[in-house]
Amino acid sequence: MRDFRRIILRRVISLFVTFLLVICINFLLFRMMPGDPLQFMVPSDPKIPDEYKKMLIERYHLDDSMSEQFIIYIKGIFTLDFGESFIHKVPAMDYLLEYIPWTLLLVGIASFFMIVIGMLIGIIAAWKRGGLFDSGSLAFSLFFYAMPTFWLAMIMVMTFAVAWDIFPPSRALDIGTQFEFTLASVGDLLHHLILPVTCLVLVYIATFSLVMRGSLSDVMTEDYITTARAKGLSEKAVLKDHAVPNAILPMLILIALTVAYIVGGAFMVEWVFEYPGVGWATIDAVYEEDWPVLQAAFFLIAVAVIIANFVSDIVMLYLDPRVELS
Amino acid sequence: MGMLGLAILIVFAAMAAFPAQIMWVFSTIGGWDYPYGPHDEVASYGTGTDPSSEHWLGTDSRGNDVLARVIYGARISLMIGTLAAAVSMALGSIVGLLSGFWGGWRDEVLMRVTDVFLVLPWLVLMIVFVAVLPGGPSVIKIVIVIGITGWAGTARIVRTQVLSVKKRAFVERAKSVGAGEFHIIRKHIFPNVFPLIFANAILTVALAILSESALSFLGMGAAATVDVTWGNMLEDALNAQAMYNGFYLWVIMPGLCIVFLVMGFTFIGYALDEIFNPRLRKR
Repeated sequence: MRDFRRIILRRVISLFVTFLLVICINFLLFRMMPGDPLQFMVPSDPKIPDEYKKMLIERYHLDDSMSEQFIIYIKGIFTLDFGESFIHKVPAMDYLLEYIPWTLLLVGIASFFMIVIGMLIGIIAAWKRGGLFDSGSLAFSLFFYAMPTFWLAMIMVMTFAVAWDIFPPSRALDIGTQFEFTLASVGDLLHHLILPVTCLVLVYIATFSLVMRGSLSDVMTEDYITTARAKGLSEKAVLKDHAVPNAILPMLILIALTVAYIVGGAFMVEWVFEYPGVGWATIDAVYEEDWPVLQAAFFLIAVAVIIANFVSDIVMLYLDPRVELS
Repeated sequence: MGMLGLAILIVFAAMAAFPAQIMWVFSTIGGWDYPYGPHDEVASYGTGTDPSSEHWLGTDSRGNDVLARVIYGARISLMIGTLAAAVSMALGSIVGLLSGFWGGWRDEVLMRVTDVFLVLPWLVLMIVFVAVLPGGPSVIKIVIVIGITGWAGTARIVRTQVLSVKKRAFVERAKSVGAGEFHIIRKHIFPNVFPLIFANAILTVALAILSESALSFLGMGAAATVDVTWGNMLEDALNAQAMYNGFYLWVIMPGLCIVFLVMGFTFIGYALDEIFNPRLRKR
């Protein structure tokens, strides 16, 4: 058990190092880039009065030395203060907070389905290896894997929202409505979610089905599977009790590694469907040159992904202590 | 599978190398006035027009021929994909080689930086880079951005391979006769890691093409007025609401090109991986 604690301690330290690096990159990116620092902190619109610019310069200490700025920035991190949004006139983090639940909803539901369906496809493909289902699912997976997420989203809008008007083409709720805990509102929400979720699931399913298939195929060649078969267990029991549990571990590693990619995909989907999530807000912030919001978004997303990775690391350790040894 | 990938690639390479000639052949078959270029205003500005015998895929909101833009688009898409992949392969290989060879604290530092680039969502990182780098949209800028955001995976793979090569006897022997660090890396380790880097590079091109299309689609890639890419064609389509106005081919064709090109590279990458990676062969 002592070793176990040491390993976790090491993970925690490396988590903090990664975290610190992200904080530094976030600072440097927005300040060390060539050109006038004002350009990144003050809107370039000429209509903005000089006094406002002066106020911003003072507020963000843009005239101070880099080290002083860094200290102020670090202090800001602890209170999640990234300055005020240029466009929306509220603190950048507060502005983003509104969008977070929507992204969690979209990414959460989509992840659940892509993992479950991907695993099922992988299991069946590995079980009936070389069969029609195997090659069929492989072709299907590779086709969607090569697809730009945003393009699939556009095709889906075209097919299911325009040509056949069965799903709404954009937004998370009908225009002019707010989310309430009523059956109608939840139904409306789900109706809006179907296309974006399907889009994400289709693009990312291959990642899970291919790894599950490979991992299960490997396990099927192990001696204990032969033993289980020799004991006279049915194929189903061998698969369910002996093969699948042992093949699931690589899937867990994969889920952690894929989080960053799924977030990227979710951004594009949110943009095409005009879905009010963090991705939409981030891309919009780039167009609006709303640097405080962009900086806050970068920080938020990075921290979320780093923590997700860390949690999955620890869960893995509990499930399979051998991982650390390899 | 590798052969199919190669065939796909040859078709796109032909499109990239001889777009004008291909358009000339089409114009002869279709009896057009002249072979359209990607920036020729053949119709009026606006929302686009439906396909016709003159414009097989219709025209877009710029008044340009969609077919011409699809064909000319191969050049920049392929160019950005391969150049960006080259940048990230070079960066990733250098970091991986040094990190694996040095070991110790230098390895630790390099790997922590690699981790950061690995966990950060690639798209967010690219968007931020595009936003803060000076200058407007250009091919060079997008190559740099994709290059510096996409090297981390390669660095990891190369490092792992270096760690196993490093332990082999010929490296020890080179060290014992007094060979310098860089000599060993260049003459003994690199040649042994190269096949892996090469197979990985092909897959990286596929990813770079997808990245380019995503950035261009967001209007953060090459400028659509100068360089046509399939990504910025789709950006135009979204902005002109082509999906709602029924210009299906304008939306479908550029995307289909991306899918096939990426699939081509993926097929070749996997085929090469099977050749260079003997452990996979017995499966």
